[in-house]
Amino acid sequence: MSPLALRFALWVIRTIALVVPAARRIAWRNEWEAELNHHAASLRRRRHRSWSTDMDLISRALGSFPDAAWIRRQFTLDAEFVHDVAYTTRALAKSPAFTAITLLVFAVGIGAAIAIVSVADTLFMRPLPVTDPNRVMTIWQQNRASGAERLDVAPGNALDWLSRTHSFQALAIAEPFTFNLNVAGRDPDYLTSARVSEQFFSVLGISALHGRLFAAEEYRRGAPRVVILSHGLWSSRFGADQALIGTTVRLDAGDPYTVVGVMPTGLELRLFDDRARRAEIQIWMPKPGFDEVESGLRVYGAWNVLGRLRPGVSVAEAQADLDVISGQLAREYPKTNGSIAAQVIPLRTHLAGGLRDLLPFLLGAAAILLIVSGANVASLLLARGATRHREFAVRQALGASRLRLVRQMLVESLSLAIAGGTLGLLLARGLLDVLGRFRPLDIALIDRMPMDARSAVLACGVTAIAALLAGVMPAMQLSRPEAVTALREGRTGSPRAVGRVLVILEIAAALVLVVGAGLLVRSFMLIERVDPGFKRDHVSVLQVFASNRIDTPAKRIVFFEHVMERMRTLPGVVAAGGVTAMPFGEARVIARGLLEIPGQPPQGGDGFVHTTAVSGDFFKALDVPLVSGRLFEPSDSPASRQVVLVSRRAARQFWKGADPVGSRVRFQFSGQAFDAEVVGVVGDLRHEALDAPAAAEVFLPYAQSGFRALTFVVRTAPDAPTDLRTLKEQIWAIDPVQTIFSAATLEQLVAKTLSQRRFDLLVLTGFALITLLLAIAGVYGVISFSISQRVREFGIRAALGATHGDIVRLVLAEGVKLALYGIVLGISLALPATRLLKTLLFGVSATDPITFLSVSAGVVVVGAVACYIPARRAIKIGPAEALR
Amino acid sequence: MKLTYPTTLVLHALAQGFRHGFDILDVTGLPSGTVYPILRRLEQEGLVSADWEDVAIARDEQRPPRRYYDVTPAGRLLLKTALARYEVPRSIAARGRRLRPARSS
Repeated sequence: MSPLALRFALWVIRTIALVVPAARRIAWRNEWEAELNHHAASLRRRRHRSWSTDMDLISRALGSFPDAAWIRRQFTLDAEFVHDVAYTTRALAKSPAFTAITLLVFAVGIGAAIAIVSVADTLFMRPLPVTDPNRVMTIWQQNRASGAERLDVAPGNALDWLSRTHSFQALAIAEPFTFNLNVAGRDPDYLTSARVSEQFFSVLGISALHGRLFAAEEYRRGAPRVVILSHGLWSSRFGADQALIGTTVRLDAGDPYTVVGVMPTGLELRLFDDRARRAEIQIWMPKPGFDEVESGLRVYGAWNVLGRLRPGVSVAEAQADLDVISGQLAREYPKTNGSIAAQVIPLRTHLAGGLRDLLPFLLGAAAILLIVSGANVASLLLARGATRHREFAVRQALGASRLRLVRQMLVESLSLAIAGGTLGLLLARGLLDVLGRFRPLDIALIDRMPMDARSAVLACGVTAIAALLAGVMPAMQLSRPEAVTALREGRTGSPRAVGRVLVILEIAAALVLVVGAGLLVRSFMLIERVDPGFKRDHVSVLQVFASNRIDTPAKRIVFFEHVMERMRTLPGVVAAGGVTAMPFGEARVIARGLLEIPGQPPQGGDGFVHTTAVSGDFFKALDVPLVSGRLFEPSDSPASRQVVLVSRRAARQFWKGADPVGSRVRFQFSGQAFDAEVVGVVGDLRHEALDAPAAAEVFLPYAQSGFRALTFVVRTAPDAPTDLRTLKEQIWAIDPVQTIFSAATLEQLVAKTLSQRRFDLLVLTGFALITLLLAIAGVYGVISFSISQRVREFGIRAALGATHGDIVRLVLAEGVKLALYGIVLGISLALPATRLLKTLLFGVSATDPITFLSVSAGVVVVGAVACYIPARRAIKIGPAEALR
Repeated sequence: MKLTYPTTLVLHALAQGFRHGFDILDVTGLPSGTVYPILRRLEQEGLVSADWEDVAIARDEQRPPRRYYDVTPAGRLLLKTALARYEVPRSIAARGRRLRPARSS
């Protein structure tokens, strides 16, 4: 006798007690509880403890229901209702398969629909810790020539937007910043922070949770150093202590900063949209004015711009306003701003991340799934109702009124709907939890997803109504006077036709989803096969921003060289190198420079190319092929003449197929210009994603470049003992407080860029398969129902000499015909629907005939299989059956 | 009151000294969903009387007081008719004789 069983039994009693009229409830409960407690105690005394005594106790507790129902009948007028419930329980228990399937269909439809609507609602409707969030816009830079969108903004452009636009009530910028954090006994770490301009907090319309925001004079140069902490950092590192406000904390190299405030919780803005792991800005600081240099940077930048629209100004109007300004800038700075434009994205859309593109299709899928499960419940109930004609006819003959029969069916449908709805709600909660745990990287706040009440009501309502209509229909039909013939024959009319139409709709709906999922699967397979220009196996990547103590280019060269030296000596290391802009790296640090060939007009678009500095055996570590010329050598030092390598694509773009090795170029980037000699051509590298083509790229030796950040790239032998930890320790051996921004294998980094796609794929495929399963269950139901109605016909056919093959063909033909109707309808719906997926496809068109044909063929085959089991049953019908 | 076989078993068990609901379940082997509605009906018809056990006893055993049932004279009369119609297992009477007299108020 386990205490758990007793607790459950007592809970059952408390629940059933609600059936007992209130006046007698307490006494009733006392009696049952006393008996259960006594029974449990005596079992315990006798040390009887087994599974079967537990079950016995629970079944005794469940037996209190007839008791409670009996008492209710004696004292209240709704006795018949209680009777209906009792009858329903018996009726449903008598056909457990039907009950289980119906509940499952209910639960799946409702659960999935609620989950998806809740996700959409969380992303687009939830309250943000921001005043009037629908007026808050994020403004990004886009490159009309390359098609790149949502780029971080170059300071020069941001400052011009700020000063020229009239659509915004307030505009502000945020600049990324990193604090190193060294705590004794822990690995050096960093804090993500942002320096923000004066209007920033008024754009968001937020105030500090504790303390205050920055005062106007704190945005001046030379003001005392102040910070505002995020709620997360304040709670995790400082124990949520309000006394912290006004005191100083030491950050970075021990510099004191005064904490003036704490931000409210849940302020996750996804600023600096790199692939960094932390979505929340942990430390906010005022940006003290703007530099002269900054206003000159117009191509590449890392700023984020936020604006609050003036009242009455629409997103489109703001976009048009900024387009005009971009046009002006393009004329004023033709060299840099020729193809650069501003892109206005509402904050909510920005926060929805990659789900933005999938959401319309998912909402459609949820609606389809809900409709299909409603249809399925309806056809299950119709089929069941039809087989119960005889039972109803008998009850009617014995004097049951029409109202009574209809009410009985109502109660049955309602009980199913309530139980199914409850299961559905539980399923939805589970799905939301799972989604939260496996959240795709760039969706904000999804791990705190509440269930949406309205969608829950709607979803349960839709299926419940379907169930009620379908449940009551057979009773209504049959309570017509002529239905008495059912007593003799047991035949029915319309449910069969209705069932067929429902199944055709289900197949069509499933086809739409499966085609969509199929297109995503094909895209994913194609994308995985893309060659990024390097080999990704057995490569470790460690991204490092040299700390403030290593403050000159010379010191940095020495530091990085020393670390690489140590790495090379580790067992199993094949090649170790460094690069400033790591393909697929977590922090995006792509720099762009202007390449010109002296004596030639500007070439290849705007003349800008990716500018990357490399050191050590970078190309060997990534296995990038050398096309012609030579790679960098240790002799390419700051003292020797400037040399560059160009990517194959840059060679094609600037030299039109001629070999660039040996030619001289003029190169400008981040304010410096120099002449250099091209010494070689290397293969193209994809930087951003497998589906983004490689850009023209120029490589400099790190020693000649002056860049600050460097990413170590280490290739090891397949079974080398060297892992990420050992590599990290090589860095700390040289500088124990150096922060490592990210450390991962190259496989992981590439996989990360596919994670959104994989998520989309899983979600949509899951939906499609569930819907297909429901549709197949529908086919099975309709066909087996139809066979049970045609027993006499099959008997006669068998008597007249039909072979097994004939019968199977007959049944299959019926099922396949339904499937074909469904497919024709489905294809005509899928053709417009899959266009919604266009942005997610890669290498296949939205109307890819291979996908459409193979999915259709698959549906026919699965439909035929679903008919096979009922067909087997039809074979077994002998001539004798026809005579019964 | 319909005189069914389960009703007879319940009456017989009560007459043999089994006085609480779950004891009747144990001795008759009938499910709780059958026994309790029978007890209610018998009580309603005045064939069985019911009352609450002394609080002191319950307190000693650290549980809420149990409800106990007893056959009324009218009930005994009905039982006699019933026993003429149905045969009851001897085990109930045999086990009943070993029972101590019910301690009740």
